Amino acid sequence: MPNLTTVTPRTVGLLHLRFHRSARENELADWGPTRLQPLAQQPPLRVVRAFPLADGAVLTHLHNVSGGVLGGDQLTLRVAVEAGAQVQLTSTGATRVYRHRPAFATASQVNSFTVAPGGLLEYLPDSVIPFAGARFQQQTQITLAEDAGLFYWEVIAPGREAHNELFAYDELALQLDITAAGQPLVLERLRLQPALRPLTSMARLGAYRYFGTFYICRVGVPAPQWLALESELMALAQRLTQPGSVLWGVSTMPAHGLTVRTLSLTNRAISDGLLQFWQQAKLALYGRSAIPPRKVY
Amino acid sequence: MPTTAPDRLLKLIHIADSAFPIGAAAHSFGLETLTAEGVLTPPVLEAFFTDLCWEVGHLEGCFVRLTYRCQVEGQLALAPWLDLNQQLAAFKSARESREASATLGRRFLQTIAQLEDDAQLQQAYQVAQQRGVAIHYCTAFGLVGGRLALGESATVLAYLQQSLVGLVSAALRLLPVGQGRTGEILWRMKTIIAAVADATSDSVANLEPTAALTTLPICYPTFSTFTPLLDLASMRHPTLPTRLFIS
Repeated sequence: MPNLTTVTPRTVGLLHLRFHRSARENELADWGPTRLQPLAQQPPLRVVRAFPLADGAVLTHLHNVSGGVLGGDQLTLRVAVEAGAQVQLTSTGATRVYRHRPAFATASQVNSFTVAPGGLLEYLPDSVIPFAGARFQQQTQITLAEDAGLFYWEVIAPGREAHNELFAYDELALQLDITAAGQPLVLERLRLQPALRPLTSMARLGAYRYFGTFYICRVGVPAPQWLALESELMALAQRLTQPGSVLWGVSTMPAHGLTVRTLSLTNRAISDGLLQFWQQAKLALYGRSAIPPRKVY
Repeated sequence: MPTTAPDRLLKLIHIADSAFPIGAAAHSFGLETLTAEGVLTPPVLEAFFTDLCWEVGHLEGCFVRLTYRCQVEGQLALAPWLDLNQQLAAFKSARESREASATLGRRFLQTIAQLEDDAQLQQAYQVAQQRGVAIHYCTAFGLVGGRLALGESATVLAYLQQSLVGLVSAALRLLPVGQGRTGEILWRMKTIIAAVADATSDSVANLEPTAALTTLPICYPTFSTFTPLLDLASMRHPTLPTRLFIS
């Protein structure tokens, strides 16, 4: 008989992707298209292909073919964006984190992204929905080289609202490090245990349910330009803010970037707002519009 | 730094007074926005400060402990201390609050270094300035606490107490509450401060920023800080039509 009390990972998934872009032969100033090279794919994580975008970037959907994160899953995502490559990564839908199963280890995902000089990573997943009783740990490490760019957002839902599951998960531990040239730009350590430390506290979420953060970086852009962009985006934040319903705020990082934070009663208000921040920031930093994945329009 | 214990204790009490002249009274760290929008009200004040202690207080208390340890046999471990300042800055997502912390930290260290004529504290101040590293309040407090050598826990308790008094003082000026009520809150919160200080001890149990390290790895797996409503209040503070506080 199997010993159900043994803590054993159910699934060890791995996705290791390389995106590269070569200068065309004899035309060093003219970069060719970005190409995807999957280095490792271990279910339930998979990619199918890279879709070329009009601006020379590629769009790749990250699939979890098991439909969500199950208790005991140990998932690893490694993405290398090489020099000059431009990549948009998104999910195919919300990440559902299912109820924890006592016989298994806490579900975990380790994400590692490196962006080489002149590379651009736009990592724009759908929201994370932790079901009642879910336990999930996520570690994300993003390393940016000179002139590397990043647009990365993360949205956390309170649970399955339609099932009246509000903050019914056991534990959500989210760890994020964004560094550039050895300097930490963003360090986040969240260990949310709603039953132990109520998220409805006025020091945490207050009356809001969804929270999201959007990190915008381009290494080497001088500090005064970031302050100017903070001011521009703060004007957008003010237009989108409706106290009691949705809040938006913008701040410069210690260097090389901006953080946009939001709290909302609905996921929709966050999704719509994030697209507007993405468009405005992409135009300001890269002189061209963001190209949203087709699932959003 | 002084050698007698009573002298050092008196100095710790002195620097932990929220009236220590570094400008702390000019900062609300986002509280002004929360009160202006009716989120922070007298009935929720005690619960709010309790949770704030567990979130921001815990994080900063950990950094007080780590920077306290940047002394090895009387010598300052400068490289890890500078790294700790940069790492703390990366934890602070709201620019106004981050800059407020850096302003207070710079003034605090500069003031103590001058009062004490302490060559190592002066060196720490000068090197940070030369390298463009912002000196934060809790990291400066921990460093000075290490020089006073009255113990990590005593230093963390002193830091948390003065931080809380500063925030409660801001609330006193922003909300219709009296000194009697805020005095009660501060009195009852001694047990919370002690519990948070204890928790910081566990959180940094295996982290030693020794002088041998030229760079301090980023780790902190046991840390947790989650104050999005306060972060947003600080980010949105510049948009308030009238402001009593700098942050």
